[in-house]
Parts: sequence; structure tokens; C-alpha cells
Amino acid sequence: MLVYKRTYTWTTGGLLVLPAILVFTLFFVIPLLHVLLTSLHNYSQTSGVGDRWTTQNYAKFLRDPYYLGVLWRTIRISLVTTVVTLILGYPLAMVLAATKGRTRSWLILFLLAPLLVSMVIRAYGWVILLGTQGPVANLFHVLGLRTPTMLYTEFAIDLGMVHVFLAYMVLPILGSLENVDAAIVRAAANLGAGKWYTFRRVLLPLTLPGVSAGAVMVFSLTASSFVTPSILGGPRVPVMSELAYDQVVSVMNWPYGSAIGCILIVVTMLLLLIYAGVLRGRRGRTEGTVTSW
Amino acid sequence: MVSGRRVLSMVYAVVVYLFLLAPILVILLSSLTTTNYIVFPPRGLTLRWYGELFAHHPEFISSLWLSIAVAVGTAVGCTVFGTLAALALHRYPVPGKGIWNALFASPLLIPSVVLGIALLQWYSTLGIAASSWSLIIGHFIIAFPYVVRLVMARLQEFQSSHVERAAANLGASPVQVFWKVTLPLIRSGMMAGAVFAFVTSFDDLTVALFVVSTDVQTLPVRLFNYMQYNYDPVVTAISSVMVLLSLVMMIAMERVIGIGQAFGVSKTHTTKRGTVHAH
Repeated sequence: MLVYKRTYTWTTGGLLVLPAILVFTLFFVIPLLHVLLTSLHNYSQTSGVGDRWTTQNYAKFLRDPYYLGVLWRTIRISLVTTVVTLILGYPLAMVLAATKGRTRSWLILFLLAPLLVSMVIRAYGWVILLGTQGPVANLFHVLGLRTPTMLYTEFAIDLGMVHVFLAYMVLPILGSLENVDAAIVRAAANLGAGKWYTFRRVLLPLTLPGVSAGAVMVFSLTASSFVTPSILGGPRVPVMSELAYDQVVSVMNWPYGSAIGCILIVVTMLLLLIYAGVLRGRRGRTEGTVTSW
Repeated sequence: MVSGRRVLSMVYAVVVYLFLLAPILVILLSSLTTTNYIVFPPRGLTLRWYGELFAHHPEFISSLWLSIAVAVGTAVGCTVFGTLAALALHRYPVPGKGIWNALFASPLLIPSVVLGIALLQWYSTLGIAASSWSLIIGHFIIAFPYVVRLVMARLQEFQSSHVERAAANLGASPVQVFWKVTLPLIRSGMMAGAVFAFVTSFDDLTVALFVVSTDVQTLPVRLFNYMQYNYDPVVTAISSVMVLLSLVMMIAMERVIGIGQAFGVSKTHTTKRGTVHAH
């Protein structure tokens, strides 16, 4: 016992974790702080990053309706993706939770398999499907309908995002569903609750942790994605990450690109905090009703 | 009535799965077309575009090798350092544990674009040119949280069994305890972490886009750039090669650890309560 305790010293532990801390400090923390500092400098035609301190990059973003529109589009796409993946994903999680044995293994395998395929390729598959010569357009043509523009629209981005992130919503909900005691659901039914009522008052509240974990993950991943919106939306419907990329790589305006990146981080974190707050408030209320019985 | 519900839920599952697999199937099938442009459904069947790819596009093949090398480097680095970090943070009284845990999880909260911008500026400040190493470092950062989390989960799982303590009490040295007890127990977590790190690196476009140069380009970057100006079936051919590689990864994952376990889904349907009832 004594021997065991003595061998686990903080010096050994420190040595084990030190390499990771060094890499993270050197190639994560410092570079990010560097971005923050760059965003607070002016843009210079000659050297890129000027040597004057300024908050003008942020003011430029917040004053221009075009940039604010891009921010709002990014948030809108994230909200739509979160809601649609929830609506599609919850029933799928229920199906998976009710399935056993080999079928279940196969269903989980095919849910996760697309995650291993590069996002570039999955997005390109949608480009072929939604393009003007694609099968969907042909179907409209055959039916004698006017083909709507699908590719390079916000709809295409929503579709691609739902496709990429559906599994991220299903997995935590599935986890929560499996922890629900089947006896509670049976009890509700025995006590005369209808299917919908049982779902709304019993199953949904019990799986809320899974739902919120999935929602937080899908929302923040969507808000920060770059690949899917740039391939399916393109320059006509830019989102925040494309804006930052363009400023840094094409325009070479590093200060402004950095500022856009910082705004993206702040906005997603703020929304997640608000979301966490709302969730905590609601949980407080439901607990209140239970105790007031 | 019950079976009716069952059929309905299966139909629903099939529809969702078709949606999930549709773009991938479309890529695979349209790579077989005989036309000079991409069309779905494909017209005729030919492997011509794969021949074209290997004969006239050596840049795709070299990018494929670079991507594999970077992904292997990322997997090895993340697994070694991630396991050490997880061990230290879980077992040892390291000062500032909360800070390090938060630090190692934080890349999940930072958009890849911002990390890309950060590395671009930092590398150019330090004068580091694009290489497989500069790519591996970027991918190390984005894959690290997964590896730490997966290994940590395994450590937590067997903590309550006190096997390490038993081994130590029976006279095993800390090094022996690690090699003979701890390592075999957390191996599945490490494997899952390595596969995750490989896939994360192999799939990454966003971070790499900022780090690459004209000579050093990973496959997703090469593909992304090629797609902007070309609409020929070479794109679908190289994409299909990547899909097949992913399929190999998937089978490896399923064989080694079970793909569900790697993503934190139990394969069998036994909850803790279920076991209690069975008693």
C-alpha cells in the first residue's frame, strides 16, 4: 500500500504529461493568442499585418450588414441542422435501441461507416446529385416541372450538414435511451398514459441529457464547418469560416481574417452558454414539479 | 399491430440509411461511366478513369502517400503522447489537472479554420515550411482530444477493480505494473484512439489547406483544388479509391475493437439495470 502510493509521485506524472503540454503550448495556445493579437492590428498593403493597434477590424465587421448577414446565415444553418438532425435522429435512435443482435450491429455499422469517408467526397456526391444534370433535376424534368436551383444554395448546405452530422445526434440519444429503465415506460403505459403522452412526459425528459449533448455537438460543429458549405454553397452563400478563409488566403488581409475567426469563436461559445443556461433553467423547473407532488 | 409498427420503423431506418449512403454510392457508380464528364446514373461501364488516374495523375498518387504518411504519424504521435497524458492525469497527482484536461479538450471548441489561420501565421513567423511534420503537428492538435478521452474512459472502467494496486502490493515495480497490467487493459482504448486519429488526419481538409504548399498537398487538398476547375470522372475515380480505403479502415476497426465500441456505443443491449433484474 505504502509502496503503491509512493510510486505515483507528481514528478513522474508531470514528466508523462509534459510533452503534450509543450506541443499544445507551442502549436495551439501561442498561435491562437497570436491570431487574437493580429486581429487587433491594422492591415498594411506592404507587410500584411501593420504595426498599429486598433479595434477597427471588429468595428468593420459589426457595422457592415453584409458581414452581419453572413454571421446570421451561419447561425441559421446551425439551428436548422440541429433541429432537423434531432427530428430525424430521435426516431432512428429509438429504432436502434429497440433492435437487438446482428441487425443492431449492422445498423450501427452503416450509421458510422459514412463518418469514415472524407467530407470532401461526401459533399461532392451531393454536388453530382443536386447538379443541373443530376438525377434529382432529371426527375423534375420527367415530371414536367421546372427544376429549382438546388446546388450552391443555403438548402444544399443544410442538406449536406444534416447528412454529415446526423450520426452525432443519434449516438448520444441512443446512449440515453439505453439507460432508461424499460419498467418506467411500462409503468406509464400501465397507468393509462397514451403513447404520445408517455413519450412527451416520460421518455423525452429522461433522454434530455442525450438530446442536449447531441444538440450542442451538432450546433457547434455546424457553425464551425468549412468543407461542406464551401463545396455545396460556394461563394454565392458564404458562411463565417469561408469568409475568414477568403480574407486570409485570397485577400491576404490577415488582421481582418483573424478578427472574423475570433468573432466566430466568441459567437459559438456565447450561443452554447445561452443554450446551457436555458437547459439548466428548464431542468430546475421539471425538478420543481416532481418535488411539488 | 405490433408487427406493423415494427415494419414501419424498419422502413424509416432504411430510408434514412439510403439518405446516408446516397452520395457515396453516387461517387462509386459515376466513376464507372464511359462519358468524359460526370453523369449519374453512369452510361456504360468502364475502368478507364482508374487507368487514367494511375497513368496521368501521379500528383494524386503522391498526395495519397503523403496523406497516409501524415495520418500514420498523427496516429502514432497522438496514441503515445495521448496515452501518457491520460495516464498522468488519471493516476498521478499532477498539479493543475483541471487546466490540462480543459486544454486537451479545447481543440474541439476551436473551429478548424481558426486553427488553420493560427498555424499559417505561426509557421510563417517561425519560418517553418510546409512538410509532413508541419501537417502532423496540426493534425496532432485536432485528434488529441479523442485519444485522451478514449484512453481515459478505459482507465476509468477498470479503476474500481484495483488490479494495479493488487499487482503493486504483490511486489511488481511501477514499470512492471504498466507493461503487464495497465497496458493490456487500456489497449482497446489506445487502438480506438489510434484509428480515430488516423481517420481525423486522413479526412482533414480545413487545417491542411492553410499549411500545405504547391508541392506538399494532402489528398483532400489536392481533390478540393482539382474539383474547383474540373468536372471529369477522374475526381470520382480517386474519390472511390479513398472510399475503398475507408472501407478497409472500417473493416480493420470492426475486427480489432468493434466499430460501435470505438464510438462509445455498446454492441449488446444490456444496461446495468438489466443485469440487476437478471439476478
